[in-house]
Amino acid sequence: MKEVLAECRGAKVAYGDGESAVHALDGVDLTIAAQDSLALLGRSGSGKTTLLHVLGGLVEPTAGAVEWRGEPLATLDAAARAALRACGIGYVFQGGNLLTHFTAFENVAFATRVSSGDADPVLAAVALLELVGLTEKLDHLPAELSGGEAQRVAIARALAQRPQLLLCDEPTGHLDSDTGERVLDLLQAVQREFGFALVVATHDADVAARMERSVELHDGRVLSAQATV
Amino acid sequence: MSGLARLALVGLVREPLRTAVRVLVLAAAVALIAAMILFVGHSLRTMTASATRSVPLDWQGPVGSHSAAVRVASAVARQPGVQQASPVATAPFASAVHEAAVGTIRSGAGAVLAVPDGYLDHIRTFRFLRGSLRRGQIVFDQQLAATLQVQPGDRVSLASRAGASPQRFRVSGIVLVTAPDVLFQPLNPLLGPAPAQPPADIAILPLSTFARTLAPALPAIASTAPGGAAVPEVQRGTRWQVQAQVDPSALRGSPAHALRRADQIRNAVERTLPGQVVFVDNLADSLNSAAGDALYAETLYIMLAVPGALVALALAYLAALGTAERDRRDLVLLRARGATRRGLLSLATVESAALGLLAGAIGTGVALPALRLAGAGAATGAVRMLVTLAVCVALAVGGAAAARIAAGASVFRETVSEGRRSVRRQGRPLWQRLYLDLLCLGGSGLVYWLTVRTGFSAVINPDSNPTLSLSVYMFFAPALLWLGAALLLVRLRGSFVAWLAARGGGGRASTWRGFLLASAGRRGAAINRGLLVAGLLLAFGVDLGLFTATYDQQARVDAQLTLGADVVVTAPPGAIRRHSLDQSVARLPGVAGTTGLDHSYAYVGPDLQDIFGIDARTLTRGTGLRDSYFLGGSAAQILARLRSTPGGVLVSRETISDYSLRLGDLLKLRTLDRANGRFKIVPFHVVGVVQEFPAAPRDSFMVANLSYLERATHEPGPNVLFVKATGDPVAVARDVAARTRAQGTLVKDIRRQTAQTVSSITTVDLGGISRIEESFALALAAAAMALFVAVTLAERRQEFATMAALGARLREIAAFLWTETALVLGAALALAALLGWLLAEMLVAMLQHVFDPPPDHLAAPWLFLGGLAAAAVAGAAIAALVGAAGIRRLPLGAILREE
Repeated sequence: MKEVLAECRGAKVAYGDGESAVHALDGVDLTIAAQDSLALLGRSGSGKTTLLHVLGGLVEPTAGAVEWRGEPLATLDAAARAALRACGIGYVFQGGNLLTHFTAFENVAFATRVSSGDADPVLAAVALLELVGLTEKLDHLPAELSGGEAQRVAIARALAQRPQLLLCDEPTGHLDSDTGERVLDLLQAVQREFGFALVVATHDADVAARMERSVELHDGRVLSAQATV
Repeated sequence: MSGLARLALVGLVREPLRTAVRVLVLAAAVALIAAMILFVGHSLRTMTASATRSVPLDWQGPVGSHSAAVRVASAVARQPGVQQASPVATAPFASAVHEAAVGTIRSGAGAVLAVPDGYLDHIRTFRFLRGSLRRGQIVFDQQLAATLQVQPGDRVSLASRAGASPQRFRVSGIVLVTAPDVLFQPLNPLLGPAPAQPPADIAILPLSTFARTLAPALPAIASTAPGGAAVPEVQRGTRWQVQAQVDPSALRGSPAHALRRADQIRNAVERTLPGQVVFVDNLADSLNSAAGDALYAETLYIMLAVPGALVALALAYLAALGTAERDRRDLVLLRARGATRRGLLSLATVESAALGLLAGAIGTGVALPALRLAGAGAATGAVRMLVTLAVCVALAVGGAAAARIAAGASVFRETVSEGRRSVRRQGRPLWQRLYLDLLCLGGSGLVYWLTVRTGFSAVINPDSNPTLSLSVYMFFAPALLWLGAALLLVRLRGSFVAWLAARGGGGRASTWRGFLLASAGRRGAAINRGLLVAGLLLAFGVDLGLFTATYDQQARVDAQLTLGADVVVTAPPGAIRRHSLDQSVARLPGVAGTTGLDHSYAYVGPDLQDIFGIDARTLTRGTGLRDSYFLGGSAAQILARLRSTPGGVLVSRETISDYSLRLGDLLKLRTLDRANGRFKIVPFHVVGVVQEFPAAPRDSFMVANLSYLERATHEPGPNVLFVKATGDPVAVARDVAARTRAQGTLVKDIRRQTAQTVSSITTVDLGGISRIEESFALALAAAAMALFVAVTLAERRQEFATMAALGARLREIAAFLWTETALVLGAALALAALLGWLLAEMLVAMLQHVFDPPPDHLAAPWLFLGGLAAAAVAGAAIAALVGAAGIRRLPLGAILREE
């Protein structure tokens, strides 16, 4: 049996109070085990991104519990949650969210430095960018990269954190279909190589179909959960 | 109200903190302008009052006879705006004789002033030291009284002309004639005032007594004849005249306005009395000079304050930038939903109008107490208040609109799709292609060079009645420097700071230091924005501080040189020695020391010059001397040389040049022998050259040993006492006056003198507006740094949120904020030091001729400069601390969703 990495129980996230409150998540139960490959499927506003943020400790649920390896995230302070993200949970955002004033190399090196402290990040950063096929673009700023290249740098940056769980928010949302395919191929390839659990939030059923499991969200609730493979 | 306008107001209300910041920043900027406008108004009124007060006698109208003088004076006195009109006469006398106990004492020729009862009600041409004016009796100026050795009650004989039978009068008082040069000037209404060398000996008679006794023996000078000054051998007859004083309450507002009003009053009087009187207008002369000075003062204030206010308005832009991205998204959304470009502009206009109204009102409200603190808020007129409010609101609305539109410029472009992109301007703007920044800097340097090298600056008339001849063109130098420096900074876009940071960070960043410097190095434009605003504001503060300190220093030096010492006591002849005033004053609290000197006159050839008899041994106990006052040696060396040569004399450079003198040459002076009232020749030897001396006029004068001069002239001791104060000069002067009042002294202090020295420019205390501007500079410098930090945080919130999502710790993220803050602060302080110093040098260079002696270096107000730097550091530190704490509370989820 696989080790359970993250678990949501009755997780709720609401913005505002009273009748005008918006429920981004409304009692979500979800378990993610090591090396899982999971798609969060749903339309815009269904709660996919919020659920990713809750899993990563970026957003605290207003109700319910979220655990990381059996430890409630609510018991961790901001520094501890940051340390958890630095060494256990990687992110790939929809637009890449690269640090705009850092080159591709520096984006990856920064994540390595955050993750590994004093260790020299140069070799690791170069190796990771080589892995995603961007050896030629080490010194390019994000504004000088194409959308696909930026996403590959984002993947390399996430890998620099040696994640056990990689959370990807619409990783192909801003890409054309061919580039999106290549990015997904890359994600699955590195998952196989590094063995982390992969959670991809998407509105695209085809993308979801590439994952082992799919959880469909609607209005902050789990509509269905099924194995896709 | 349209939907967009309502939307604008709702937007302001829904974001109270953001609205408050924008309103406060705009309010601070316009408050500085409001304070300046109100202060200038106050200053102009002060200049008018000072110019009016400084005129002892406003109008002098020559008439042909006693009866005409009486009739016209009566008619003039009834005219609106006229406070007083008196019939007056001036006439020469050949000699005065006093049969004293020691024998007969005879004076030389002199002049008579004949005035009616009540003359001194509003006219201030002389004041009584003892006694009063009584019918049938005579009053003497103190100098003539001393010569004749008369006291009230003595009898003297006065002959109106050689050969005429003398008239006997009883002496009823002793006066100090304070405006002899005006009283006895030649009266030619076509030429205007021409203050002249006054007579040495003056007697005053009641008008009726004069008309009955002396006038019949003298011809009357025709009213149309200009006549000469009433000095011996120049005026041959009686000059009948009407002297009048304008009601000061009729002269309000600026000097120019007061001048127009004074002209109107005089024209009305002359029109009412056609052919009867035309006046020599001393008042208009003074107001005219003050009006010129007012222009200079206004320009000076503008040069000092406007750059600060403009840079302060740039803070509004910086504040708008903090939310520019959010605003841009909101506006793009509105455009996408069908809002037209005009609609968005209306939205910005309504929002700016609301912000501007509020900020303008607050700014004006802040300016009033600030002005009161500066001691200039008591008499702010309603009209000026309304004008100030209107100007402030207009500026605030304009500033808010400019900031709003500039910060969201891309959204106001033609198409929605263009608006969605953050379009960067292609190519350089026109001013960069024309190198306007470099042209401005070059132009500034050229004007400055002309100012320094060719004397293209404020020029002061070196007479005792100073006026300024000014060119506002010289203000182009600092104005162009401001503009050029600002544009150059915009052109450089922080590339120098970025280059420094990149150099410090090395190549590819992989360490924390490397990340920090690499990041800062690529944010040159953003850093430059902070540098531009904070640096220019700090430069404004440095410029202001240096200029004000130098101005104050020179005003003090100038006043001390003009007055002579911290406190100066002028005493009737013999009073100081007879009553040992030097010793009794030296014992008063707050007095560091005293020295007595004799101020009299001597002829060098045909030139009458001031001569100061000093005790070289004690002189520096009572006053300060600078080496620059003397040529050919230090002050101590020259004084030692004078002390060792009893018959030595120090003469001016002009005298050396005019009479081809050399050190050691014999110089025969004609001095008045008090023993017999006649001039005698006294031999002196030139031992040095003096170009400045305490209490000496600006032109030629001489300095000799008191003891030698006394032996030659039989002066009964010094008539002036210099007092050096350790305490407050005003308090010391008060004590000295109380102690010596019984001896008929006149006491002046340096503080009051500072307000009267040189011109009406320095009459206006620059300290008032400086204090206001310095306070604003401190507040704005702190605000600029705080805003820079806030804007940096707002601009980089997504980056910081991403770093947090990657697991970076708070202090690691905050380090990026601290690094940029430190870079901007360091660069801003360096820029401020350089630019502020250059600007102050330029402004001071323009004032080279206003002060005497001119400033030879800038005075540095270290306390203020330190405070300015501390304010900037404190503003930055507090904002960075708050910002760092804010990073902890960043809504990471929401920010990471933003595109």
